[in-house]
Amino acid sequence: MARSVWKGPFVDGYLLKKADKSRASGRNEIIKIWSRRSTILPQFVGLTFGVYNGHKFLPVIITEHMIGHKFGEFAPTRTFYGHAADKKAKRK
Amino acid sequence: MTSKLCVGQFAGSHGVRGLVKLRSFTQDPADVAAYGPLVDDTGARLFKVTLQGKAKDLFLAKVDGVTTREQAQALAGVRLHVDRAALPETEDDDSFYHADLIGLRAERADGSLYGTVKAIYDFGGGDVLEIRVGSGALEMLPFSKACVPVVDVRGGRIIVDLPTVVEAREGDEDGSEGGDEAAEDGGGGLEP
Repeated sequence: MARSVWKGPFVDGYLLKKADKSRASGRNEIIKIWSRRSTILPQFVGLTFGVYNGHKFLPVIITEHMIGHKFGEFAPTRTFYGHAADKKAKRK
Repeated sequence: MTSKLCVGQFAGSHGVRGLVKLRSFTQDPADVAAYGPLVDDTGARLFKVTLQGKAKDLFLAKVDGVTTREQAQALAGVRLHVDRAALPETEDDDSFYHADLIGLRAERADGSLYGTVKAIYDFGGGDVLEIRVGSGALEMLPFSKACVPVVDVRGGRIIVDLPTVVEAREGDEDGSEGGDEAAEDGGGGLEP
């Protein structure tokens, strides 16, 4: 069952404050977080978070398409790395 | 920079007329046969492959010279490679083949060595470089212009600008304790 709309999205409160601070500083910063359960909110767009996957912190650059998803969705805990083959990386 | 790229692998036979099952590793799986003839690990055997159809997540392919089930079965497990030069140019200056980035030296702005690019991942949150640093540890770095301002594939190096790392922990001095229903107002969503 989906979460009730009247509750609003869940986010750990300290993330909001840290995100505000990071945005205000304007530095090239990675915010390490353990809170995989928190929802990605519009005020996080443009920031880079290091999301813990139980082993290491995976950098996640927040874009507007991620709003409403949880941080944990972008830091898989089990990974199959595969082959490089013809895959391309795009620098943002 | 790698000269041979593994793009697929034979996975067994299909039927009695020599069709082979083919597992693709390419970004668009159908491109496995698009880069010309494929060679095996040693480069000694050359395969001309034509895709015929799909079976679950594998392709069914016809290989020139393979006409019986036994011949097709004998190919199972053979990994298929193409030459890096067979790949087309990337569409813009900020797109790079993983194969070109892997193995590049990662240098700091002052020219000192930081590490070597070991792998590139994309878990949905942007591309991430995995760099093996001097101590042997692996560090993850976002593939962004802020963190990797220069990519010089021909020169065999990237220049990294290491970001400041800050931690956001539950109960740290500027954060509140525990979860919060979207904001300090305790529910009903965030104030705009």
